[in-house]
Amino acid sequence: MDSTDRRRPAAYLYLAPAGLVFAVFTLIPAFYVLYISLFNWNFLNSAQSTFVGLKNYGHLLGSSQFWHSLLISLYFAAGTVPVGLFLALGIALALMNPFTGRGFVRLAVFSPYVTPVVATSIVWIWIFNPQFGLLNGLLHMVHLPELGWLQSQRWAMPGVILYTLWHSLGFDVIIFMAGLSTISADLREAARIDGANRWQEFWSVTWPLLTPTTLFVLIITTIGSLQAFTQFFTMTAGGPLSATTTTSYWLYELAFLFYRTGPAAALAVLLFVIIATLTALQMWLAQKRAYYQ
Amino acid sequence: MPAKKVAALVMASTLVGVIGAGCGTAPSASHPPSSPTASGPVSITFMEAMSSGTLKTAMQSLVSQFEKSHKNMTVNLEVEPSYGVLKTKIEASVTAGQAPTIAQAYEDWAAGYANSGAIVPLNSYVNGSHGITAQEKSQIWPGVWADQFLPDGKIWMWPFNKSDFVMYYNKTWLKKANLPVPTTWAQFASDAQAVTSSSANTWGVSIDPGSSSGAANGTYFFVALIRAYGGHLMKKGKPTFDTAASRAALSYVVHMYQNGSMKFGTNYPGQTAMGAGHGLFDLSTIASYYYNEQAIGGKFAMGVASFPKGPSGEGNVMQGTNIVMFSSASTLQKNAAWTFMKWLSEPAQTAYWATHTGYLPVTRAALPLMTTYYNTHPYQKIAADSLANARPTPPVAGMAEAIGALSNAIQAATIAHQSVSHALATAQSQAIQDLASAK
Repeated sequence: MDSTDRRRPAAYLYLAPAGLVFAVFTLIPAFYVLYISLFNWNFLNSAQSTFVGLKNYGHLLGSSQFWHSLLISLYFAAGTVPVGLFLALGIALALMNPFTGRGFVRLAVFSPYVTPVVATSIVWIWIFNPQFGLLNGLLHMVHLPELGWLQSQRWAMPGVILYTLWHSLGFDVIIFMAGLSTISADLREAARIDGANRWQEFWSVTWPLLTPTTLFVLIITTIGSLQAFTQFFTMTAGGPLSATTTTSYWLYELAFLFYRTGPAAALAVLLFVIIATLTALQMWLAQKRAYYQ
Repeated sequence: MPAKKVAALVMASTLVGVIGAGCGTAPSASHPPSSPTASGPVSITFMEAMSSGTLKTAMQSLVSQFEKSHKNMTVNLEVEPSYGVLKTKIEASVTAGQAPTIAQAYEDWAAGYANSGAIVPLNSYVNGSHGITAQEKSQIWPGVWADQFLPDGKIWMWPFNKSDFVMYYNKTWLKKANLPVPTTWAQFASDAQAVTSSSANTWGVSIDPGSSSGAANGTYFFVALIRAYGGHLMKKGKPTFDTAASRAALSYVVHMYQNGSMKFGTNYPGQTAMGAGHGLFDLSTIASYYYNEQAIGGKFAMGVASFPKGPSGEGNVMQGTNIVMFSSASTLQKNAAWTFMKWLSEPAQTAYWATHTGYLPVTRAALPLMTTYYNTHPYQKIAADSLANARPTPPVAGMAEAIGALSNAIQAATIAHQSVSHALATAQSQAIQDLASAK
């Protein structure tokens, strides 16, 4: 028995508390959700629950509400992930350059991220208020037509996307700044000596070396966007006319408003499968192009 | 043992544990004795959400009075900060086998609890030797009395804190514009249109139409309007969302929305608009009185009137909760709980509760005890009189979801420009589906 083998039990012992917490609060509930999804579940009296097999999944996949909510989720992801990613990258690049007041600007960009979503989304509800809100006031001032924002089927989702970008951009910017700071200045200097302009330097040196960071941000923001709930809960309650009913929000409605526990559990499992598949796909595609120093 | 086998064993035992947990003990539906009696000493728990201001102190005071007059009984209040938390706590405690003895509950909560055997019917208590007399029963407002039943015809709830809708208006503005206080919905629409001006940024009323997640004040206004046009939400166990009455009511809303005299918002938009001097009316429950006064901040005088009438009179929607009794309590606790519930609804306690909280008296027998109060709070009398026309939303499982479909119909016919008949036909089929899914 070598020293590694001898130390192995102690290592497991040190890992045990974290493992136990993970098992109790994540792993076991996850399996329990899978189990519940096979039942017409009575959460108040589980003795009245009846086994229905995959019926809950069948009903969900055959319901227009499921596909509608998935489409809405993808709309939200499309509005927040690519836009947020490139916006964050641009801001991070700008914030890496020295200028007066850089510290304050960095703080201003990051601070929305640490604010509570419920509190700030309530502030944004007032900003979006069609009659008394700041945004319509600004539109009115420049003689542009006022919008219904959160009361409008067309503008409710862009409104939530705008809020989400404002709130979450700071995190992505910090990650990109961390990624940029790991790129050796020698490589950029070498490119410049070879006659590269700023764009060529970015495209041929910075961007390829930043791919692991971009991949991380892409995966994290995609997962986050598909799980987004709080801003929909406070700002739109899925409305108007289900225009912002994402899969996560519908899951909340089914589970905690209408107490259809079995279908809600099945939806949670489906959402997990979708997010896991998308993440695996992103990793597979991006790994092929990722460049590690 | 190989690591893979150990892992498989752990996984299997976990799943067995999980499945075992899933098949845990269930609340049993015990049958109360035909003539329950309260003896003691006994301690009961009352889970409720009267958590702030005068609601809290009035509740504590009533409990203290009860305990003084019933030396062998103790009532432990389990106070929750909101109805949302209350619901979660009730359900968590029932699932954990630690339900309170009694709790506040809305009608649709009670329907779900009854279906699961978590609560007991109260017929044997109400009609038993320690129940209430026919005279006492007749004094309870008909709408309030009807609210205690579930569709199976049994009494599952006991009345507690009730309110209904009234019409708030900017008295100063109405007088200045030389407009009458509307007594009919036709007059209401004409007043609202008269004050609507895009240049002055003024309009008649703002409502929150609700969403698929559930009803808001605007949804209840629409339900009241349907009733004023002679309609119902359910008939013979089936939703009746698409009828001539509901079409007339929705056409009325669409007309007001299209001419700009009605606007939509969230978070009590009627109160905000009226308080800011932009909206003439607010349609809300009597519980909003103090909040409306705060929003107005003394800028103008606010008037209160009962909901205007439609072709079939005044329609109104009862709000507030009842009390339910949980099946897991012992017989002794159930008897004590019934003694407390009955005591709470007696005229003296009802009058105390109403005058200290602004909730409406559930029995007419309390009115003579509230004369002085009504002289100084005339708006409360208006709301109390409207109780005669107030009906709850039907207490069936899935109704909260179905009402969400009605909220969607309002928005479909207004912001999405669908025809009234199409919007209501969609709501009707959605409601049928929602009620069927909840069974």
